[in-house]
Amino acid sequence: MNSHSGTIDVIVSDIESITPLIKVFTLQRSDGRPLPGFSGGSHVLVLIPSRGKIFRNPYSLMSSPFDTSSYQIGVRRAEQGRGGSIAMHDEVQVGTRLKITQPVNNFPLNKLALKHIFIAGGVGITPVIAQAKDLQVGQIPYEIHYTALSPDHGAMQHYLDAGPLVKTTLYFNSINRLINFRQILAQQPLGSHVYICGPASMIVDVIAVARELGWSESHIHWEEFTEQHSGAAFDVRLSRSNLTVNVPPELSLLEALEGSGVEVPYLCRGGACGHCETTVLELDGELIHNDIWLSEHQKSSKQKIMPCVSRANCTRLVLDL
Amino acid sequence: MLITGIKSRPLYDRLTPFPEGRFHVVAGQGGGGQAMLRLLSELDLSADQTRVLYSHESFSGKNYAAQLRELGIANLGEFGSNAALVDHLNDVLASCTMGTRLYLSGSESFIGTAMQVAARFGLNADEVLREDNGTFVRRVWCVHCDTYTENVTKRVFNCPGCQLDLVVRDHYSGRLAAFMGVKADAEQTGVMPPAEDLDT
Repeated sequence: MNSHSGTIDVIVSDIESITPLIKVFTLQRSDGRPLPGFSGGSHVLVLIPSRGKIFRNPYSLMSSPFDTSSYQIGVRRAEQGRGGSIAMHDEVQVGTRLKITQPVNNFPLNKLALKHIFIAGGVGITPVIAQAKDLQVGQIPYEIHYTALSPDHGAMQHYLDAGPLVKTTLYFNSINRLINFRQILAQQPLGSHVYICGPASMIVDVIAVARELGWSESHIHWEEFTEQHSGAAFDVRLSRSNLTVNVPPELSLLEALEGSGVEVPYLCRGGACGHCETTVLELDGELIHNDIWLSEHQKSSKQKIMPCVSRANCTRLVLDL
Repeated sequence: MLITGIKSRPLYDRLTPFPEGRFHVVAGQGGGGQAMLRLLSELDLSADQTRVLYSHESFSGKNYAAQLRELGIANLGEFGSNAALVDHLNDVLASCTMGTRLYLSGSESFIGTAMQVAARFGLNADEVLREDNGTFVRRVWCVHCDTYTENVTKRVFNCPGCQLDLVVRDHYSGRLAAFMGVKADAEQTGVMPPAEDLDT
């Protein structure tokens, strides 16, 4: 089955509860060989079997890119999610065998930057932990600004190394130590690059502040860290495959298509990279766009959809697949 | 003039304000002053967010210093040579912060050497505009002795560094801000390429 092709068999070798909501899982290859090399900012999809379904959730690799004997991922328990992260928290044990995809980096460091500035919220710190490992061996200064609800929830800070190149600042809402994006981004030297990872609202806010301060687009990078959006079930008609597929509430459109044996190219499964962009041929109803790839204009034109995160509320939807 | 078919040669722009920029550095020399004046008329100069640098060095003999002074810009920097201006540009950019935009106007050699400074400060294509002033005399780098020669107009010329006759190849290096010059009869001793005029 294509949905499993190219995956890597891993075994969970360690699970640690780091914060009230985040568990860190250590994964090793089942055959004991080294895992593929990767660069900071990369993610893998974890195929999570649960109650007869398979979720494919993206998780950033947070372990050192210089150690491929294992990968570490941080999984935030999302009570409102579709159930993938809850299955990871409640069903996966040390010794559980899982499948993961090859690492892909949609959030790479800019190699020509003269300074890196990371702004991370909550579990959004995970890719930054690996990126910082890459930077520790270089010569470029960097700042990490990490915000969490409380010191308890910010315990992922212990994965961040100190060093002469890095300045780390922590912010906790519970004790009113609040992050100020404007203060961070104003007065940064030329050649600075900002990387934002966290909730969508934070990403939108930081981008807005950066633009207002005159940062050009080529210096602003972000990765959205969202749980899969669930929603009402709907049917989708595939014109070329001559198939009708039902998308249940707990599966994404992409996952439902894959379950029916339809191959759709994908990379990030987070609505960011653009690989799964699909043409809408007919629509009677509304598209629910959850991606940050399509422009507002494209979204309102109702001619494109990103099946990895977006859904529809409709009586009829025909895709060019 | 611009359509030379030289793929490596930069494509030049027309200077217009970046509306989202918060600080504007405008640098030019010689005939490039004309584009500077046009750009400055479109920028809000009252807000003290503009730094202007002008070099009197000119291949064509044009000088726009008087008109620039008439604009009454605070801190108009004037320089006797392009090299002095480019040196100073380094100091200016070192004190600038994110949100700065750079505008360059003048000869290809001036723009190229100023771009070397811009690259050192990590400025990307969406932060810099370059407008050529129409004189495409070439700056040439000798691959044999590492000498740079300004204002080359002929296909074959004698390198002042190593006295070899060089042929100017249609190969521009953004990193070196120069065209490549190689021994003219390297393929076959004594057989020289035609000594044509370059596309100046």
